[in-house]
Amino acid sequence: MPTLARHERLAGAALAALAFIIVALGFFAVIGEPPLATLLSMAEYAVGDRYSLSETLVKMTPILFCALAAIVPARLGLISVGAEGQFHVGALIGTGMMLWTQPFDGWLLLPLVLLGGAAGGALYGWLPGILRARLSVNETITTLLLNYVGVLMVSAAVYGPWKDPGNLGWPATIAFPDAAVLPQLFGTRVHAGLLLGLLLALCLHVLFRFSRWGQSLDILKGNVRVGRMMGLDYRRHVIIVMALGGALAGLAGIGETSVIQGRLQPGISVGYGLTGFLVAWLAGHNALLAIPVSFLIGGLIAAGDTLQLFNKIPASSATVLQGLMFATALAVPGLIALWRSRRG
Amino acid sequence: MDEATLILIAGWVAAILRSATPLLFVTLGETLSQRVGIINLGIEGEMLAGACFGFAAAATTGDPLLGLIAGGAAGVVLSMVHAGLCIGLGANQFGSGLAVWMIGLGITSFYGRAFVGGQVDASGSLGGSWLGDSPVLAQLLDNLSWTALAAVLLVLLAGFLLYRTRTGLAWRTVGEAPEAARAAGLSVPRIQVSGVLLGGFLAGVGGAVLSVDYTQTWAQEMTKGRGLVAVGLVIVARWNPYLVLPTVLVFGGAEAAVTRLQAGGFVLSSHVLASLPYIIALLVVVGAYAWGRRGSGMPEGLKGVFAVRGS
Repeated sequence: MPTLARHERLAGAALAALAFIIVALGFFAVIGEPPLATLLSMAEYAVGDRYSLSETLVKMTPILFCALAAIVPARLGLISVGAEGQFHVGALIGTGMMLWTQPFDGWLLLPLVLLGGAAGGALYGWLPGILRARLSVNETITTLLLNYVGVLMVSAAVYGPWKDPGNLGWPATIAFPDAAVLPQLFGTRVHAGLLLGLLLALCLHVLFRFSRWGQSLDILKGNVRVGRMMGLDYRRHVIIVMALGGALAGLAGIGETSVIQGRLQPGISVGYGLTGFLVAWLAGHNALLAIPVSFLIGGLIAAGDTLQLFNKIPASSATVLQGLMFATALAVPGLIALWRSRRG
Repeated sequence: MDEATLILIAGWVAAILRSATPLLFVTLGETLSQRVGIINLGIEGEMLAGACFGFAAAATTGDPLLGLIAGGAAGVVLSMVHAGLCIGLGANQFGSGLAVWMIGLGITSFYGRAFVGGQVDASGSLGGSWLGDSPVLAQLLDNLSWTALAAVLLVLLAGFLLYRTRTGLAWRTVGEAPEAARAAGLSVPRIQVSGVLLGGFLAGVGGAVLSVDYTQTWAQEMTKGRGLVAVGLVIVARWNPYLVLPTVLVFGGAEAAVTRLQAGGFVLSSHVLASLPYIIALLVVVGAYAWGRRGSGMPEGLKGVFAVRGS
């Protein structure tokens, strides 16, 4: 990828935003909607009132976690696209914890459920991590394939042994008891998971910047051989970042399942994993920047749902817009470099 | 072997080849793209677009051939985005591929809604009166459409072009040593764009074969990661078009065998069964890394983007 100076990066971000708005207007024109009016309604549906804003924050929560799940491995130069699968396995193990401990119904339930979610995700990140560390198997391909298996594992559980007979055939587990659910905030669907996500983003940012671990990751990302000569264990770091990233996505999965869905069932994620990957990329793999970017994309998705409801535009338009946003962001640095070389 | 056994085997071969045809096109497309040094994860979106727009064209015109052509065209259009981003503008290939995948996902569920649950006629079978009265051949060819034959012939043609012609030499040089290719006066970007667009065309045709010929219906996200499986199988086939044929057939055979286990008394959840293609793909990819020499057969030009950075 072309490298740019700092002021060019800033200009690039502004240019990318502008280019995206033009592309989005073009998209609305192509699907036969009034471009400017539709774009303005989207903005209104994302942040226009208290309810819209709260729904944006609800969507932002799993996206932020999944973005962090992609950012941690990326600090070592790994391209993990496995958040979707880790999200599902986290939801699966966390729900298993709930089912297992549910008769006891004490204060311990919530931490156990969250721990189960993190552990499930970590395990599902560890697997491609160890394959990468031991056999150099490309982590992008393994994580992409494992995603489908993770989603199907949840289906197998909720259509099979975990199906609650009281649901009259609907494939879902029993509902999470109140003691196993994170508290919700301001009387909306927004839950404490958002605060946890913000805190984790901040902690990760500080660790990447100032800790020895962060330095080791930077060195190994730059050059594995140099890192080795300094006594750093590349393989161990690969496994750590992959498992840690997995744990973050697993937390997103169990949070979404327990608070928003209330039970484990199919369709707990609407592509949060891939969206998180996009956010990580747009944020330049900076944990702090992931916060505003996931807010933005959360708003885009929430607005897409409302657009479907009120303007009869399918919610998949939000997916198209995400793809176009990603493509625009990838194109802009190259365009700037091209323009720079033309000027000589 | 008596005739009954032969008929049984012919039935198996036909079933495997039939279900493997879409994947053959897609894996061949990804192989050609990677041979010129460009990884295309967007092939998943290109296959999906091929399935969607191919089905739409076949359903509206009633002509399966037009469906395949429209599918190929849809694949080309999406692969132009990938080519523009990573060859024209030097963007990261993994990122660009995922962007293309996302665009394909969104556009097909946007425009595909009108066609969900529709039906089309498949393209003609290879069988017919010209076979004479051999029941073995009839069992084999009646169940195969000409797309299966086309896929096998294309594999051979691609292998021949790549290893036996000047164009193929140019393509391989660009993939192996872009600097040397440039020094030899080849236009690297032009050849890379050709590879990516041809790959996109084949992926689109593969998707259209899936919806028009195999399932004869369209459903949202119906490719379900088949394109990504193809990216894995390219590694197993060591970036060699000829090896794409046995790799895809063994993969399809393993899948068919496990599916048949169920008929043999093993009761498996349908969700476990559905996850088998990914698990098998994962196992063969890991096996290719574990037992092959690392990254063997990988075009040199790919190594910068691909795995061989660490350890």
